[in-house]
Amino acid sequence: MFLDKFSLFRPNRRQFLQWSMGGALGIGGSWLAWQGVQSHASRSEVAIPPLPQPISPEATNPLIFLRHFDYGTVKEENGQRIREFRAEARTSTLQLNTAVSQVTWNLNGQVPGPTLRAKEGDRIRVIFYNRAGHSHSLHFHGIHEAEMDGIKPVRNNSVFIYEFNAQPYGVHLYHCHIAPVTRHISKGLYGMFIVDPPDPRPPADEMVLIMGGYDTNEDHKNELYAFNGLPSYYMSHPIPIQQEQLVRLYLLNMIEYDLAATFHLHANFFEVYPTGMTLNPSYKTDVITMGTAERHILEFAYRHPGRYMFHPHQDAIAEAGCMGQFEVIEKS
Amino acid sequence: MIFSRRLWAVTASLALLAACGEATPPTSNTPLSSSTSPAASPMANNSHSMGHSKPININNAILSELDKLEAKLGIPALSNQIQASRPYGSTEELVSKKVLTQAQFDQIKDMVTIEDVVLEGEAKDVDYITKLGLMKGHLIVAHELLILNKPAQAEPHIGHPVEEIYADVEDQLTERNVPEFKTTLIRLQDLVKAGAKDPAKVKTEFQSSLKSVDQAIAILPETERQNPVFVLKVINGLLDTANSEYGAAIANNKISALIEYQDSRGFVIYAEELYQEIAPALAKTDPKVNAEIKKNLTTLKTVWPSVEAPAKPVKSPTEVTALIKNIEKLTTPLTQKSS
Repeated sequence: MFLDKFSLFRPNRRQFLQWSMGGALGIGGSWLAWQGVQSHASRSEVAIPPLPQPISPEATNPLIFLRHFDYGTVKEENGQRIREFRAEARTSTLQLNTAVSQVTWNLNGQVPGPTLRAKEGDRIRVIFYNRAGHSHSLHFHGIHEAEMDGIKPVRNNSVFIYEFNAQPYGVHLYHCHIAPVTRHISKGLYGMFIVDPPDPRPPADEMVLIMGGYDTNEDHKNELYAFNGLPSYYMSHPIPIQQEQLVRLYLLNMIEYDLAATFHLHANFFEVYPTGMTLNPSYKTDVITMGTAERHILEFAYRHPGRYMFHPHQDAIAEAGCMGQFEVIEKS
Repeated sequence: MIFSRRLWAVTASLALLAACGEATPPTSNTPLSSSTSPAASPMANNSHSMGHSKPININNAILSELDKLEAKLGIPALSNQIQASRPYGSTEELVSKKVLTQAQFDQIKDMVTIEDVVLEGEAKDVDYITKLGLMKGHLIVAHELLILNKPAQAEPHIGHPVEEIYADVEDQLTERNVPEFKTTLIRLQDLVKAGAKDPAKVKTEFQSSLKSVDQAIAILPETERQNPVFVLKVINGLLDTANSEYGAAIANNKISALIEYQDSRGFVIYAEELYQEIAPALAKTDPKVNAEIKKNLTTLKTVWPSVEAPAKPVKSPTEVTALIKNIEKLTTPLTQKSS
């Protein structure tokens, strides 16, 4: 029986940041401890370097988003366990770079939306409240009943409650399914939905990268791209990881208007778990081509300290903001 | 004044359409009280007895529905409170979110739900007409853009009724024996997507789409469609959506999302058309309220000087919200009287 620590008190992000800024806790390891991702494996095996300070508290902060998983709130109802999430469609302006701001349609104020996480077989409930003017919806990938498929529009100022079982395990996604879907997705209504296998995967430094595109002038082409919402953010704010630490990367391509993106990791190779639906890797490579909505788990570790880029190898896409780097910190 | 209906008709006759050298306005300007012969529709049996009516969905009910709870408990402005604290994962959250005390909740807990409720009576009709009204708003701006020979800009507004709204109202159309018009809307959309090359054809298709929506509206009995209180509820629904859309149009004090600016314009134009229909009756029954609504609407309309966005927003989203909330507040006493 999987011991569910998710339902225990969990600090909100702000509290968490305050503590970590106080320097009392290293951000990643303690965060994982709170999350209880690994049920029995010793968490001290996972070394996650602290994030560079100060952390800006904006809703869309790629460094925070990276390792933040939303496990919802666990409730008991009539003997059944329900994992309940709240998602609010809103509109807000996001400063993409010093020159360009974009009105986004988003969930809970952030692009991408929160990474929702559950275990296979959990009963999921998503209370979806649309406060964004247009009709919107949430369409989850996975197996569920037709009426929970998120095709029906949810009108402005109304609520729809999605409820289904989390299955099958893997890396999935959710997004708005109101036409034109291209516009509804590229304006920010998407996120990752991770369904963990019944027996947890081995401990690792787990993180999420979602590739997205922005059509800033409504010409049905992307002018800017980003990992986790903000163009080129991880170039100026490299992701700290520890030398020789296994990294488990949950990767999703959510770029509309372009056919595919070929994710490439510098100076390394990664194991591929296609759609996150296997427990053993299928193959090893350093480039993986993904169409829109494709996603995988990639695993790798770095042998040498230093900075290493990652980006889609459609280099025009990379140079328009879809690039970042890891900072491999030497093992002490 | 671009908003005046007469001018709208005149502009309209310059239509697409000039090509056809015809002077009849292409839009039929349907007020809710159009003369299209309404098919018989089961008139709402508004049972006011609490015990027998369906529970109210606190997540989705319009203010006038929530007013039943306000009336029962005698708490001023409770309806707005309930709306402001959405969403609810369970009805008990009315207590945990401090909207009601446990004792108050106990008094009304049988009247509320978060389950999907099949609407009935007036609430159902308001919902139906509001959705069709949103379609009208979209078509109004689409039409303006077609006249300006901007089919690419018109296309999303022709798409929205079918993409966002139709599926939401489809069941009601079937139930009310309204012939389906999805194919009509899609035909127009295809034509405009293809570049709207033949003005005469676009005009014909546009007219069919508009007529379909008007016929769907005309299904409701005229008495209801001319009832000021009923119409005010629809107006509030349209303005509420216009408010959200306007907020989504503006970034850094610039109109950055033109589509949303135009959406909100269409909704306000149609809301104003509806208001003009009931203004004479309202002026007789509630002259003070009518004068105030008129004042707010007049100010509100200045925010959308034309279908093409002004260089700088006339008013901020906050100011627009305030005007729209004012109108809502003004209509509350009237709608409460009737429920």
